[in-house]
Amino acid sequence: MPAAPRPAILLCALAASVTAAADPGVYPQLRGAGLGEGRSVWIANCEGCHGYGVAGAPVPMKPADWRERLAKGKSVLYAHAINGFFGPDDTLMPERGGNPELSDAQVRAAVDYMTALAVYYIQQER
Amino acid sequence: MKHSRKTVLALGVAASAIALTTAIAGTDAGSTPSITPKAMADALHLVMDSDRTIYTRKIVNRLVKKDKVIKASEHFEDDKALVLPAQMFRFGSELVAKRAEDMPDVNFSYSLQSLWPVNKQNAPKTEAEKAGLKYVADNKGQNYYTEETLGGKKYFTAVYADTGVAPVCVSCHNEHKDSPRRDFKLGDVMGGVVIRIPLDG
Repeated sequence: MPAAPRPAILLCALAASVTAAADPGVYPQLRGAGLGEGRSVWIANCEGCHGYGVAGAPVPMKPADWRERLAKGKSVLYAHAINGFFGPDDTLMPERGGNPELSDAQVRAAVDYMTALAVYYIQQER
Repeated sequence: MKHSRKTVLALGVAASAIALTTAIAGTDAGSTPSITPKAMADALHLVMDSDRTIYTRKIVNRLVKKDKVIKASEHFEDDKALVLPAQMFRFGSELVAKRAEDMPDVNFSYSLQSLWPVNKQNAPKTEAEKAGLKYVADNKGQNYYTEETLGGKKYFTAVYADTGVAPVCVSCHNEHKDSPRRDFKLGDVMGGVVIRIPLDG
């Protein structure tokens, strides 16, 4: 299946990059407790779907995907990421992103980075 | 699972795609329909991918994962289970090929291929297929378009990434005895849909 087009904002800012998987540097290193580890976990386990909108995964570079999700609060997002979640259109977020070896703390760190990334792009849009 | 690499798409689907694309372009499809090979391929892939996505979400995800009333299995007959989404796609392409045998004007093809096929029949054959599958795997989020000449005829060939979207996709390929690659993870490009359209009338 074709992945969703990369957000224009990302393409403009990082025109030289071709794929995030080949060049994880396209994703900003954000300041905050645990965000460095979260970024590494996110790139290794989450970016494959969330970086492209695969299977309906919300893309943090697309503010429209995240405004309502951020409003749910971190505890809900942590629970969805750790336990798995069925979206209203029967989309499926697999538990721990499909990697059972991830600890709760690692998943929470990845969620922290993804939500920080979403906030970053929402702020960029303004 | 039997699979004919060269399959032909049914007129109904093709007509829908033409109508879709011409509607987008604002052209009167009833008089002088006009469509580029790329737009045609994109429209066809949109139909295929959407149908497969809905099957995955509304049938497999809902009944297998959420309501837990039935399984989905590669061995669906023995297991009395649902077919996997990739099998659904292949069965559709096989039926299309069979039905199109009586429709000589319908002469373009599509297939699901991989550089790491569980079934060797699904490996790329032409240089364009090989290049396209490598490109979509190396350049995630992008499609591959080219022209190639086969048997003296010129074709437009498009390749679209096929991504592992559910844990079962990944585990099946990683654990299958015939799989040549066992390090897939969720979200990886595992293969591609190849659509080929003749350019010479």
